[in-house]
Amino acid sequence: MYTKIALAIAFSPRIEALIAEVKRLVLLFDTELLLIHVGTKTPQLEEKLDQLLQRHGCDKLRIKVLWLEGKPVKMILKACEEEKVDLLVAGALKQEGLFKYYMGTVGRKIIRKAPCSVLTLIEPKVETSEFSRIVINGTQLEFTPQVIEQGLEFSKIVKADLVSILNEIKLYGLQMGTAGEDSEDEISQTRRRLVQNEIEYVEKIIDKLDKGNLKINIKVTGGKWAVELARFCEKTDANLLVVGDDRRLNFFDRLFPHDLEELLSTLPCNLLIVKK
Amino acid sequence: METLNHKEVINLLLQIAAMLIMARVFAEIARQLKQPAVVGEILAGIILGPTILGTLFPEFHTYLFAANPETTNIALDGFVQISVVLLLFIAGLEVELQIVWSQGKNALQIAVASMVLPIIAGFVVAYAFPEFLGVNINDRIVASTFFGLAISITALAVVARVLMDLNLFKTQTGLLIIAGAMIVDVLGWIVFSVILSLSESSSGGLGVWPTIGLTLLFTLVMLTVGKGLINKTLPWVNKKLAWPGGLLSLSLALCFLAASFTEFIGIHAIFGAFIIGVALGDSDHLTEKAKEILHQFINNIFAPIFFVSIGLKVNFIESFDLGVTGVVVVVGLLTKYYGAYIGGRFAGVGRKQSIITGFGLSTRGSMDIILGLIALEYGLVSDSLFIGLVILALVSSIASGPLMKWAGNLKI
Repeated sequence: MYTKIALAIAFSPRIEALIAEVKRLVLLFDTELLLIHVGTKTPQLEEKLDQLLQRHGCDKLRIKVLWLEGKPVKMILKACEEEKVDLLVAGALKQEGLFKYYMGTVGRKIIRKAPCSVLTLIEPKVETSEFSRIVINGTQLEFTPQVIEQGLEFSKIVKADLVSILNEIKLYGLQMGTAGEDSEDEISQTRRRLVQNEIEYVEKIIDKLDKGNLKINIKVTGGKWAVELARFCEKTDANLLVVGDDRRLNFFDRLFPHDLEELLSTLPCNLLIVKK
Repeated sequence: METLNHKEVINLLLQIAAMLIMARVFAEIARQLKQPAVVGEILAGIILGPTILGTLFPEFHTYLFAANPETTNIALDGFVQISVVLLLFIAGLEVELQIVWSQGKNALQIAVASMVLPIIAGFVVAYAFPEFLGVNINDRIVASTFFGLAISITALAVVARVLMDLNLFKTQTGLLIIAGAMIVDVLGWIVFSVILSLSESSSGGLGVWPTIGLTLLFTLVMLTVGKGLINKTLPWVNKKLAWPGGLLSLSLALCFLAASFTEFIGIHAIFGAFIIGVALGDSDHLTEKAKEILHQFINNIFAPIFFVSIGLKVNFIESFDLGVTGVVVVVGLLTKYYGAYIGGRFAGVGRKQSIITGFGLSTRGSMDIILGLIALEYGLVSDSLFIGLVILALVSSIASGPLMKWAGNLKI
């Protein structure tokens, strides 16, 4: 599924947990590993990194370490592009303050602008995170078939116990409000049809895919998909949410937040953003 | 506080009952004919008003609607005013900025083009022939712009219904039309409030530039800080207060507060109602179920009162002018359609999709009538021109469904 996974390291207290997590992913997906550090290369840091890699048995893996200087976000994104990385792993805080939200932290900037898929871990652990309950965004968008495909592929590889595909009925209130001109039976029919349409949409996509032994649930909700996804993940105690993103976000998107920005502002659980 | 006497109370209740019954009967007939309810409700008003009832049974019409002009009719006008404010509130609730963003530049280009062409054409026609069309010659620029704006509006709720019936709602074209209509609504009401502040007929307020500044500031603050506050408060309201009672009463209170604020700063009450509707509707915590309840409550009680009241204000036969109506309908339909079509083509949208979008955005039958009515009340347009706008709304809302269906079957 992936051929090269990258991890941006900052020698923060969470570095060890992130390395442990990324090592597990590298083994699961059988990929190369690229470690990127933006900052001055010193013998002490090199030694610290070597020790860490040795401690976690990473030294035998196919690893390349890039020591870069310059603006962190720009350099990391450039490295991902040049090295043809297809999954970037990043750590992010669950919630950020108002100032940081508008101005953007390095982590969030990377998530927003990355050219490849990004796996954001909210609580990286040395004993590694579980991906047993995975939620995939099935909302009808141009990009959704690919998101579901990659989400299921990821779920198979990490051996998830349960995969929920959550679908949102767009503008449910408006649709049902205008259906209010009809009789009671017609309104119920409209309601059923809206739900059925969403289920059929997902079924049509997953019918063509190899699902392995995965247990898949299709859920339908009304409301804004990002908010509903976040609520659903919290309610079901999900440990990974898979969503798609086919465009880069900017400051304006944060001023008038929508969809993905809503999710990024309060990460409900670990987040895999599938990019085109 | 003065109160209505026994007879006046009976009169008021009979007025409202007659309006609601007639609206329901004709909305049902419209439904059977696969037409939007608003078409039936407007016809109900024409039948109940001076046009039909007043002509055929003048005594009964006088008993019902002209017996107590100083008291009952003022009370009824209060109901109508509240209905208009609530209609705008629900129009705001329908706007989902996320849908607008998701459709991006295409929707913006189409919406702007679909407004600019009718506004310019409407302005030119009205400015060149003010006496023929019946725009106020003393306030020529404002009245002409108002006319242009009135023919540039799209009725989001009506087009949403048409799209659902055609099974186009969730298609790319459907969402493009919905997003375009939402942008038209937002831009339309901002332009409206600015024009109104320029009008010499507008009373009170703070002057032109402060009003324009406050309009933009109010919009921006409500959609950022206001929305943030709503987002913080709504979870508490949903959790701690009776549901949906708490939410309904507080959201309506908020709507009236915003409406009174914008009326105070010299815009118009309906602008505040609209913007607070947008802020509330865009909140993460206003559930779709709550939206549905608000929709049904307002669409089935207050909307009919408003749409029927239109027919009570004007005699549609006496003031009807074929020439004026013809010009309004032709200019309105052609410019709105071509505006949206050209906008679509410029945005790189396919020909067939642009044609459907053009017909979709030409759907009228709600906000445009409110705009026309305000213009009538401010003395900016004549009865004949107002009738032309109502007929344009009727024609476009009846025709848009079949036209979109026809365009959908085109082999291009």
